[in-house]
Amino acid sequence: MYLLWLRVAEVLYGLASVSVLAAVFGRRPQWQRICVPVAVLAWFFHAISCTEMLAQAHRWMPQGMHEVQSMLALLIATAFLLIVWRYRTLSFGIFALQLAFLLAVVPALGPDKFTFSSPIHSGWLFVHITTLLVAYAALIFSLSASLLYLIQERRLKRKRSPGFLDWLPPLETMDQIAQTTLVLGFCGMTIGLFAGSLIAQESYGAAYFADPKIWLSFLMWGLYVAMLSIRRSTGLRGLRAVYLSSLVFLGMLSVWAANVFSSVHRFSAP
Amino acid sequence: MKILLTGLNHKTAPVELRERLAIAPENLGTETQALLGHPGIGEAMILSTCNRVEVLIYHEGDDPGIADYLNRRFFVDAQTLQPHLYEYREAEAVRHLFRVAASLDSMVVGEPQILGQVKESYAAAKQVGAIGPGLERLLQSTFAAAKKVRTETQIGASSVSIASVAVDLARKIFGSLEGKRVLLVGAGKMSELAARHLMQQGAGSILIANRTQERAVQMAQKFNGHVVRFDELHTRADEADILITSTGSTEFLFRTPHAQRFLHKRRNRPMFFIDIAVPRDVDPEVNRLEGIFLYDIDDLQSVAATNLADRSNEARRAEEILEQEVMRYRRQMDALDVVPALVDLQAAAEEMRQAELRRHQGRLRSLTTVQLAAVEAMTRSLMNKFLHQPLQTLKTAAREGDAAAVEAIRAAFQHSGGTEETEHSTEAPSNAVSDSGKPESLISKH
Repeated sequence: MYLLWLRVAEVLYGLASVSVLAAVFGRRPQWQRICVPVAVLAWFFHAISCTEMLAQAHRWMPQGMHEVQSMLALLIATAFLLIVWRYRTLSFGIFALQLAFLLAVVPALGPDKFTFSSPIHSGWLFVHITTLLVAYAALIFSLSASLLYLIQERRLKRKRSPGFLDWLPPLETMDQIAQTTLVLGFCGMTIGLFAGSLIAQESYGAAYFADPKIWLSFLMWGLYVAMLSIRRSTGLRGLRAVYLSSLVFLGMLSVWAANVFSSVHRFSAP
Repeated sequence: MKILLTGLNHKTAPVELRERLAIAPENLGTETQALLGHPGIGEAMILSTCNRVEVLIYHEGDDPGIADYLNRRFFVDAQTLQPHLYEYREAEAVRHLFRVAASLDSMVVGEPQILGQVKESYAAAKQVGAIGPGLERLLQSTFAAAKKVRTETQIGASSVSIASVAVDLARKIFGSLEGKRVLLVGAGKMSELAARHLMQQGAGSILIANRTQERAVQMAQKFNGHVVRFDELHTRADEADILITSTGSTEFLFRTPHAQRFLHKRRNRPMFFIDIAVPRDVDPEVNRLEGIFLYDIDDLQSVAATNLADRSNEARRAEEILEQEVMRYRRQMDALDVVPALVDLQAAAEEMRQAELRRHQGRLRSLTTVQLAAVEAMTRSLMNKFLHQPLQTLKTAAREGDAAAVEAIRAAFQHSGGTEETEHSTEAPSNAVSDSGKPESLISKH
């Protein structure tokens, strides 16, 4: 049944993705009135789907590639709705809703073929996976906010910019979103890595830490700390902030991709 | 009742004439009441703004003589007034009113105040009992049409004055202006206006620096702000998020090193420079710094001009919407026009009565003239009594604008009328009584 809910959510994400483009670029209030309720409905069915999926499997955490993707899509949709509620801007929907839609496409087609089979079924693993997913979602938003900030800044400096960029939110709003999501992502990543390290230490011993995926994860955390401290201390904004966020984002992608090379931390056919 | 809208506006009359006819908001009620006392006027509303004075009435007869009324009331002779007056009737009046309320007829197309002014005029007229069902329907349709234009077009979305463009830009940088600090350097009229706009939009506090300390103190009192000594300008300017400068200085007051220092002290928090001085007070190179946004008077004017052009495009869309709304209103009014239905209904009933009398004329032949007159009176009275309730309901429904009820009653009686017509295709009804005293319809068959 969870697949049905996910497919319903997928259709609604598709509708919300289209309506958000009309609402943001066309600046039509009637589309704004359609977009948010449709996105909320999509989120609702998606949440039901995830809950049912995990309840059926009698576990708390996503194990398969599809499950992880679906959860990440749900987190991105959640973040988007929180931003709409807090900052009253739909602008982030132009990438967040599309991303949620794309991430949930494959999971909506059928059940997982590749799973991350772990003999450990502790609550720590749930904390590890969930907080890292939150960190990924937060980083995506932080980078997007920094990019939008840069576009808006260039637009304001150029003075005679085209009207189709009028939808961009104010600079300060984007700066706040970038900073808040960055801090949230940092908290998620720190807790996630800490929980993962505890599990690895208890179950596999020090050998686990020789894996490239684990090395990259800690490297990324180091980069994150550096970026955060630079941004906090200098009030860095604009182009240099985008460079820093992009660097961390690339790090994040490489950590995600490292599952392919990892010997102990990978998705495999059951 | 007929609709008439007459008046003058910024396109047809100079300000000298408009100000003679202008009515203060507090006097709108009494003036409307006075207008209502004019013969033939059933309902009335007066719209008086700095750009227009218009009289909207529901009246009987062909010409209620509003121009004469205006001549007398405002002591403006007809020859002076007449060339500047326009007059719209029925659908044209509706179209004009819709355009006015939607701000398509305004001096600055899309300005938002006019709808509020129309609503104020409506409230004043309603208070003195000058709004009846006719104007009520028209004005509610007007408000709905204006709202539709606002929500479905971007006609009022962008600013077209220098001061409001400055506020808009500040919003693009800071979002909310709550708690933002403004520094006024120099105390010119334009910078004062921009500062006032920013304060109205929520800017938290104001700092004022002027070469003449006395003038700075005066301004500070006016805005409830604080004075910054002119020689401290470069050490304290970083306290402001928005800096408006309009001094008469012939050299740049702010250069790149100053701005760099400000940014450093502000830990790169953005700063908005509005330079409305000519010659300019801020070196244009300052705009190259990340976090500094500099707009001079030409930049602001250019944004305002672009926005104005955008409004013209939106105005075309708004005109299309209004045309549809005028059509909709006319259809509603046509549906509520029950006079033809009342006449048809009475004619059909009379026809039936005559047909029945003819059918029974063989049996009525023995009656005397007095008895025949009694039968005539009785059948007519019966018919009238039977028709009374449906006719009243029809009139009430029309008065209350209940188009559905009007249609239902009309359909019910059209049906029965139609059936009778095919059954008895007869001569025209006649209620006339012959010279002999016998009802004509009965006598003619004797």
